[in-house]
Amino acid sequence: MTVSDAGQPVLAAPESRRPIGLLLVAVPVLLVIWLIIWPIISAIIQTLWMRLPEGGDTFSLETYRFFFSDGYSLSNLSLTLWTTGVCAILLLVVCLPIALYLRFSDSRIAAYVQGLAIFPMFVPSIILSFAFIRVLGPNGTVDLLLNAMSLPKIRSPYLTPWGPVIGLVWDNIPLTVLILLSGLGNVSNQAIEAARDVGAGRFALLWHIILPRISNSVLVAISFAVLGIFSAFTLPYVLGPAAPEMMGPFMQRTFRELYEPRTAITQAVITFGFCIVFGLFYVRSVAKNRTP
Amino acid sequence: MAATLIRRPVDWTGIVFAVVLTLVIVFPLIVVGTWAFTNVWRFPAVIPQEFGLKFWNQTLARADVWGSITMSLTLATTVTGLSALICLPAAYAFARLDFPGRDILFFSFLAGHAFPKFGLLVAIAGIFLQLNLIGTFWGVVLIQLVGTLLFMIWIPVAAFQSVDRRMEEAARDVGAGPFRVFWSITLPQAGPTIAAAILLSFVGTFYETEGAWLIGAPQVRTLPVLMISFINNQPVIQYGAVLSVLLWVPSFIALLFARRVVNSGSFARGFGG
Repeated sequence: MTVSDAGQPVLAAPESRRPIGLLLVAVPVLLVIWLIIWPIISAIIQTLWMRLPEGGDTFSLETYRFFFSDGYSLSNLSLTLWTTGVCAILLLVVCLPIALYLRFSDSRIAAYVQGLAIFPMFVPSIILSFAFIRVLGPNGTVDLLLNAMSLPKIRSPYLTPWGPVIGLVWDNIPLTVLILLSGLGNVSNQAIEAARDVGAGRFALLWHIILPRISNSVLVAISFAVLGIFSAFTLPYVLGPAAPEMMGPFMQRTFRELYEPRTAITQAVITFGFCIVFGLFYVRSVAKNRTP
Repeated sequence: MAATLIRRPVDWTGIVFAVVLTLVIVFPLIVVGTWAFTNVWRFPAVIPQEFGLKFWNQTLARADVWGSITMSLTLATTVTGLSALICLPAAYAFARLDFPGRDILFFSFLAGHAFPKFGLLVAIAGIFLQLNLIGTFWGVVLIQLVGTLLFMIWIPVAAFQSVDRRMEEAARDVGAGPFRVFWSITLPQAGPTIAAAILLSFVGTFYETEGAWLIGAPQVRTLPVLMISFINNQPVIQYGAVLSVLLWVPSFIALLFARRVVNSGSFARGFGG
């Protein structure tokens, strides 16, 4: 409700300000408190307080100290940081040209390109993983085609760090394009034409006129991608190397196969720490676009 | 018309994008589709040696496939039903009623989106461990239910807000009771958007893999979870290919209905764009 709306129904206010509304929203709100807010608080408390053998609790950074001194944990973390960084850069390199093209073209081909760019949204990542293996895996379609042309086989990215990178970029193209495109909607044609009139070239136009106006959308797109990629599970689990592994599969294995929930939760809190800036920025941007 | 077509220069950029995207996005899926209808395809033939439906019969004869189809449909229906039951009244309250703490409660549904998803799932799993919900059907229901809350509240709130209030007041003026107004005026106008939200949450739940895998495995085996084990341990490629085609059906239905919604600017803005 906007401010003017809120001010208008003065007479109706006491009647509609009944707590019945609270009753109607109670169940979903309690679910959020129980299954999102409480687990986060509990995770932090649980990993910071150690149970002593003789009873009682004490403050301790032991689980975190272990994580940051364990070579395997650290190599998983650095693989995750590498994958996230490479994916974010690749996404921008791939999606910004597509979005720019879609913004400034109205040909029939543009509609086709937009349809294709959004299509991965309707392909579940597990089907994508299977398709990836069939095309780029050992003896996959690319190998078949190269073999038919008497060329050597490729070095397959399957089960290497590049496997998840390719999969995650593919998976994130639609929303990145849509968010960038929505930002490009704020760049007026007049601004572009004015700059062209004074003789700005294509790159000057991009650098001085377009990028400053869509920088917020770029940051939103990157934040959204980072949040999704940093703790991605399915694609790295299926396509990535067994060791080192990304944080998602690492947490899953620690929790379900090694039965070390405390260690797994420590790893989760560490992923929160690395993503918190992106998370808060992203949530703030979503909230700004939405008045309750 | 013809003159403008002739004068327009060839859209080379567009053609390059179209070709590259077709190769990268459509081609891999065609390969999977081809595998699903292939009886024999041995290296190094570029075209399968024998097409056929042999593996459809074999895949559909597997008990684990039927078990996981049933499990996925039961889960998605339960979660979507529960979600609609608790979220739609809440959405109506957020859209129409004023109550203490309304704004902060409305935005509280964003909380989960400030954190990397799998990390949050692990934190929730820590709570479920104490409650013995790991490996149970209801554990998976709960974790997937939480995932639907934001969609199922925010989209219907917008739907209720866009209903023409004057029509409701007019109906009330001629003596319609509140339920009659809701049933005859509010619901028909908000209905299509709410139906879209329900469809989205059903499809989203159907494909939810991470929560189902972390909380449910190995007792609760949904179709995507079965697919993971096919990819990892199944030497017969066609089983996975047939399952992929089956698995894609709900997404295809969503694609038919949701395309227009997705292409509109408000969708991207909902993601912060």
